[in-house]
Amino acid sequence: MNTEVSILYFAKSAELTGLKSEIITVSSNVTSEQLWQHLEEKHPRLTVIRDQVVLAVRQEYVPLSGQPLTLREGDEVAVIPPLSGG
Amino acid sequence: MMDDEIAILKTKLLEKEGELADLKRKLDQMEKGNSRLTVLHESVTDLPPLKSHTTLSNEDIMRYSRQLLLPELGVQGQVSLSNKSVLVVGCGGLGCPLAQYLAAAGIGRLGLLDYDVVELSNLHRQVLHTELTLGQPKALSAAGAISRLNSAIHCVPYHLQLSRENAIQLIQQYDIVADCSDNVPTRYLVNDACVLTGKPLVSASALRMEGQLTVYNYRGGPCYRCLYPSPPPADTVTNCSDGGVLGVVPGIMGCLQALEVLKIASGQGSSFEKQLLMFDGQEGRFRSIRLRAKQAGCAVCGETPTVTKLQDYERFCGSAATDKCRRLNLLTKEQRVSVQEYKEILDSSTPHLLLDVRPKVEVDICCLKTSITFHLLVWRRRNLNRSRC
Repeated sequence: MNTEVSILYFAKSAELTGLKSEIITVSSNVTSEQLWQHLEEKHPRLTVIRDQVVLAVRQEYVPLSGQPLTLREGDEVAVIPPLSGG
Repeated sequence: MMDDEIAILKTKLLEKEGELADLKRKLDQMEKGNSRLTVLHESVTDLPPLKSHTTLSNEDIMRYSRQLLLPELGVQGQVSLSNKSVLVVGCGGLGCPLAQYLAAAGIGRLGLLDYDVVELSNLHRQVLHTELTLGQPKALSAAGAISRLNSAIHCVPYHLQLSRENAIQLIQQYDIVADCSDNVPTRYLVNDACVLTGKPLVSASALRMEGQLTVYNYRGGPCYRCLYPSPPPADTVTNCSDGGVLGVVPGIMGCLQALEVLKIASGQGSSFEKQLLMFDGQEGRFRSIRLRAKQAGCAVCGETPTVTKLQDYERFCGSAATDKCRRLNLLTKEQRVSVQEYKEILDSSTPHLLLDVRPKVEVDICCLKTSITFHLLVWRRRNLNRSRC
């Protein structure tokens, strides 16, 4: 079953996608790896931050893995690359 | 009659003795303040242990009265602050407000580390430095401001580059470390040194309108490497000198860092050992992400660590431990036009097209009248969208 979720882009990911947020439709039992792959296909420039990105679903860290996420309608997925300035 | 005079004289004498003691104390404080300022550490040495306090003086009670009233802190918490030392790595946009609040709150010893000197472009966010300290080492400028605020704080300015050679010796002398640095290699170096010496690391960062904060290596929480096992490719990192930063944003993050340091130092623990706090200044919104516990497979804090001593972090990250010089991928000399060559083109009225491909904000700062603006990033993005349709 497909569901609509909000993707929130922070720091470098907002710069790379040119977006602060967007709503996408994905399968509700998509894995975090598949979800990231989907975002990369939509925004190929995201590829460069793949190894540093923190992905959070419903404000909780999820590692990039093959585990299904069980997304619900309206869930927030945050894409958070590290900041290093100070 | 005689008895009365004797009593009056005795009272006067006591008053004068009190005044004398007061003057001696003030002189002592000023001398101590002066001698501290002149000792700028350019290498790491072993400091004498911090003098241990068990009670507060009357002056302490007056000075800290408003925070002593908090049941969360109280006398015990305040005494605990005075017995703690904190190393501030970087006296910039984060380090300045952090050091200021720690000094104001009565931390016992503050190590202030920075290798840079104060520049005019620092003053919009690095609020301990002033026009009068332009050109001074930042560590010294910050120490001066801190000593004027609270002369009882033992302030140790370090004008040196933190490195694999000196980091362990320095960090092991402090109870808590605050990462206020401005570059990736230093963040990994500080993290590894904190894990190897068992120190809590209160870490914040800021860029443009955003900030992040996490407490690493504390009470079973993750370290920086648990979260970011591999460093970002150098050309994907934006620093404050390239990307810009609104001064108050690191100010807010530095203040939050100070709050967490004070909670840890006074024995209240932290709220962020398994949380990543994000601040979005544009939206005026805070978000907190729950993190996992420390990772068994982490290269430095895991069960079988591969990093057991400090490394070459500039090589590991492929970038220098500074936010200034970055690697430039210049075109060949033949593909570039110098200002002199361009002036010749103009002077000889040679027909030409000059495209200014920089972002709009840079064009707004300055541009050549003969140029046509053509924002490369915007064009790339449009092109990308078109190719997908």
